[in-house]
Amino acid sequence: MSDSHQTITYLDHGATSWPKPPGVQEALALAVSELGGSPGRGHYGLAMRTTRAVHSVRRGVARFLGVAADRQVLFQPGCTQALNLVLFGLLEEGDRVVATSVEHNAVARPLNVLGARGVEVDVLDTDSQGLLDIDDLEQALKRPAKVVVCQHAGNLSGAIQPIKEAARIAHDAGALLVVDGAQAGGHLEVDCSELGVDAWACSGHKGLLGPTGIAVLYLSKGCQPRELVVGGTGSASSELPTQPTELPERYEAGTPNTPGILGLGAAVDWLVENAVNHRERERLLTRRLHEGLLELGFRVIGPPVDAPRVPIVAATYAGLDAGRMAAALDREFGVAVRSGLHCAPWAHRTFGTLETGALRFGLGYGNDADDVDCALAACASLLGDLT
Amino acid sequence: MTSRQLRPFVVFGFSTTHDALDAESLLEDMGIDVVPIPAPAELGKLCGIGLRVEPDQADRAGIYLQRAEIVVVGRVNIEDF
Repeated sequence: MSDSHQTITYLDHGATSWPKPPGVQEALALAVSELGGSPGRGHYGLAMRTTRAVHSVRRGVARFLGVAADRQVLFQPGCTQALNLVLFGLLEEGDRVVATSVEHNAVARPLNVLGARGVEVDVLDTDSQGLLDIDDLEQALKRPAKVVVCQHAGNLSGAIQPIKEAARIAHDAGALLVVDGAQAGGHLEVDCSELGVDAWACSGHKGLLGPTGIAVLYLSKGCQPRELVVGGTGSASSELPTQPTELPERYEAGTPNTPGILGLGAAVDWLVENAVNHRERERLLTRRLHEGLLELGFRVIGPPVDAPRVPIVAATYAGLDAGRMAAALDREFGVAVRSGLHCAPWAHRTFGTLETGALRFGLGYGNDADDVDCALAACASLLGDLT
Repeated sequence: MTSRQLRPFVVFGFSTTHDALDAESLLEDMGIDVVPIPAPAELGKLCGIGLRVEPDQADRAGIYLQRAEIVVVGRVNIEDF
């Protein structure tokens, strides 16, 4: 094994959060020790206690996301699956979809497949910070489109998109707004009702601080994609040969992921109590890191240091391979960061880094100023060795 | 050994587990004794959760459910233990 050294400084929260806040580990354990019944599939005490626990988490997540009708919050196996459900379920041959040029592969790849199936895919270039230009969207929607799909925050740039304005413009043009919220949930205050989004998907394990294998999908009443998966729901087996139409069952065929859901619930409970301080801490650390990288001579992708961003700072250094730098940071300093294309070739093409990739620092729960300073000192040391 | 006797109850049926849980939570909050049971065949459903209530609380329960806009797909009288 060549990776036996210890990670001291974890700065890859853009990929997944680690460690998890108090309560998550305990909830996972509870799910396999005491709440091991099958949710929605049985009336005996163990099953009902498990069913109620899942129901309670749905209510909590709905409140956290500003959703009044908690049945419109769906549990999915991942944000990618959730976005696949919405995009493949809404779009068919002859439809038109408008996307931005900074979408993650969770959106880009489904759109590429849909494009090959006869869906017209129009990709709008963002500005140099990675932000959707609302005027460009308005212009693009002078021709009818069924769906506008946009990230909430950039997984490369950290830029926060004007979602509320995009929803208004999309609706004025008769389109639905589908939002990839993977990098926004937990890091930003999200009120789906206030934003006016039609679909909003988010990983449970990134900024929401839950375990992997669980995601949240909000669907407005007007957004009813075809099901991607059909099957058992624990209900209506005697009456319906096909999938129930009621939410959440319609989109939750198969046995729910109880550990994932309960772990997510514990994480959201923690966020409800701590989000204000947590987000302020993230903001300060992100600025410290951003400024430090600029001082070292890095080019930072995305918005300038004074502009809002989620706690992601991706950077390049002229003439330096990001992959080698990431490996050296890990090997020599125990600093975990992500190089490569971050599953976002569209975004890297937009920022001119498709051929080089970038070094991405993702901050989050558990990080402190020492982590940032350690990473910056490590970068300085590596750069010093080169000169 | 205690002898058991069947006695009357009212069961409300719902189209989804989600509705049944909303109903259970609501009725408990309103002080009504609720027992989740397998949806009885009399409801035309052999899958899902029914909520069993005492007959003298059934009308009150129905009103609460209606006010909360929880859709009840059936109400039947049964005998149960």
